[in-house]
Amino acid sequence: MSRNRRDFIKTAGAGMVGAGATMALGGQWAWGAAPEGVPKEPVKIGVMAAQSGVMAVPGVAALTASKIWAEKVNQSGGILGRMVELKVEEETGAKETVEKFKKLTLQEKVDVVVGLMSTGNGQAVGQEAEALKQLWLSWDATTQKGVVEGQPVANYSFRSVDNELEAIAGAIMTAKHFPNIKKVAGINNDYSYGRDCWESYCRVLKMYNPNVSFEESIFLKLGETEFSAAIDALAAKKPDLIMSSFWSGDTTIFLKQAAAKKLFENIKGCFTTGGGVHDTLKKEFTPEGLILGYNSMYFRWTDNWPMLNDFIKIYYERTKTYPVYECDHAWFVLQAYKAAVEKCYSLTKKWPTKEQVIEALRGIQVPSLSGYRGYRKDNKQECCFFMGVTTHKNPYDFVTIDPVQIFPSASIQKPEGYTFDQWMKEWEKQVQELKKT
Amino acid sequence: MATLLNILSSGVFHASILFLVASGLQLVFGVQKVFNLACGSFYALGAYLGITFVDVFTGRGGPPLLAFIPLLAAGILLGALGPVVERGLLRFVYNRDESFQLLLTFSVVLMLEDVIRFFWGTYPRSPKGVYLAFGTLHVGGAAIPVYNLLVIAASLLVALLMGYLLEKTRFGKIIRATASNSEMVQALGIRSSVVYVKVFTLGTILGTVGGALVIPTTAAVSEMAVHLIVLAFAVVVIGGLGSMKGAFLGALLVGLLKSVSIAVYPELEMMLIYLIVIGVLVLRPQGLFGGAS
Repeated sequence: MSRNRRDFIKTAGAGMVGAGATMALGGQWAWGAAPEGVPKEPVKIGVMAAQSGVMAVPGVAALTASKIWAEKVNQSGGILGRMVELKVEEETGAKETVEKFKKLTLQEKVDVVVGLMSTGNGQAVGQEAEALKQLWLSWDATTQKGVVEGQPVANYSFRSVDNELEAIAGAIMTAKHFPNIKKVAGINNDYSYGRDCWESYCRVLKMYNPNVSFEESIFLKLGETEFSAAIDALAAKKPDLIMSSFWSGDTTIFLKQAAAKKLFENIKGCFTTGGGVHDTLKKEFTPEGLILGYNSMYFRWTDNWPMLNDFIKIYYERTKTYPVYECDHAWFVLQAYKAAVEKCYSLTKKWPTKEQVIEALRGIQVPSLSGYRGYRKDNKQECCFFMGVTTHKNPYDFVTIDPVQIFPSASIQKPEGYTFDQWMKEWEKQVQELKKT
Repeated sequence: MATLLNILSSGVFHASILFLVASGLQLVFGVQKVFNLACGSFYALGAYLGITFVDVFTGRGGPPLLAFIPLLAAGILLGALGPVVERGLLRFVYNRDESFQLLLTFSVVLMLEDVIRFFWGTYPRSPKGVYLAFGTLHVGGAAIPVYNLLVIAASLLVALLMGYLLEKTRFGKIIRATASNSEMVQALGIRSSVVYVKVFTLGTILGTVGGALVIPTTAAVSEMAVHLIVLAFAVVVIGGLGSMKGAFLGALLVGLLKSVSIAVYPELEMMLIYLIVIGVLVLRPQGLFGGAS
């Protein structure tokens, strides 16, 4: 189910060979003018990033990553010699976000739109993308039920990995690292992501540890900043482990207030997505021994991936922080678009239509900040998830993880054509059969 | 016993912060008849500047146990915003419809959100090494952070000082007189514009100090202003617009209710608070301590 760091580097290394081939193929245009059959004007890319509220942390990080990507691509000759021009719009409420998507498509006439994190916004924009025949590559915005209910069939929309994957990985990590726990309590946000994560976590953990019981999770509204009462309520349940899918400043605040109440002195913890604000998780209040998930990007996963090392250096110089997962999603979708365009050109010797790019994106694999990742044939992303156990043994004032466990999404995401529930039932059946043998 | 103590300590702590902000809101409304939505932004600014001051203070060797000094300094210094906002913006809408006042103060919220984003970014921030340095008190099975108790004490002290200021001092009498009949006060030779500036500055400081004091216990995040406005609104409606006693009781009620609902049924947290707001609006529209409407 999971791979160690060495295995992953091997996989990534193999991918590098592929990357070299792609670079060589694209090299004839990389530093020259636009080749024949390619328009001279810049490629316009719409970027929709949240810049305020609870989504601002990953949103601004992803926007920064997109800008760094565009600068680097332009420095090396653009896409097939065309410079990249980013048209940035803010992700806000669903209605406004759809209006901005329309503006980018109809007014700015962008070639592709990237971005979005809210599933609600994603549902609305996904339908608009199909209606306008506009290519949209999402960063996130893909909770299970939201997408199944809101957009069962996608053509022009390319979705992220299912957002609950970190909870599934967290459950596997819990079963592995804390096999003797008997009772689990949860604290999650009261919306689709929080509820789906809790449900997925419980279901997967129960498969591997049938003796575990679950207290009802505490569900708090998104953006809550006062957790004293919730911490007391959690302590009163006397669990062996507390699971949380908090992913923004709420993780920081919760851990800080929990430290003042000594919550994790005798209780284990699994923070499936807390790595989203990893360098705010200071050692003074974040204990060692917690399971901590970083989603698709852990800034220290290897020293042997030049794309990551280079990016971290530039990103840190600009922001004085270390990049978080949304940077990798943002980087990947742009990289995938560029590779798809170049792939099409290598076959047709013309700048491709959106429909041709869509065909090229399906099944594509490209190097990103977290190694090789791609799109499945059903327009869904693939990537690796990084998770581990918190440690204070590092040169920073915040926690990192050691050992690092890497979960490829191919092993923890529902396969093509399955609903989440069908896949879970299949998985449960397999585990039962495995136990019998 | 432990559960009860936990609920009480969490609820009263939350109430004490709400009181600081709501009392500023009440003071301004009582005198200037403006419902100042920007109180939430003043609270957020207090939190962010408090972090900067504390980090400089501890970074230069200042002991974390004396962090109250830079925190209070940040809160008080931000009071300078009061005259700027009052003279620069609010005075133009005193005699306008209430919707203008709400729109104006809400636009201040949005502008200050951008100011915060410009200076401090969007990443969550918290001061280093202060909160846990104060330790934890274990009473009857409950764990109560000592810093929380100090904030409760500070809030009570502010309540007493406000009571003294309003009831026992000449300035307090002027404030009450202006709240009651500003034209009469002007007829007595007191410039209401000066009173307005002073009152708004005081209201601003109550909000910024609230934000500065709370920040060691939490982290400053960009949504904190709006989140607080929603609760402060409930406090003043329950307590009665313009009433300091109302701010005190309303904050206590909202704080405790929040704490109880999270312990019992967290999904109902906001619903319970706003059920009471609706009840008050229907049965006693002037609030528990407000004057006759």
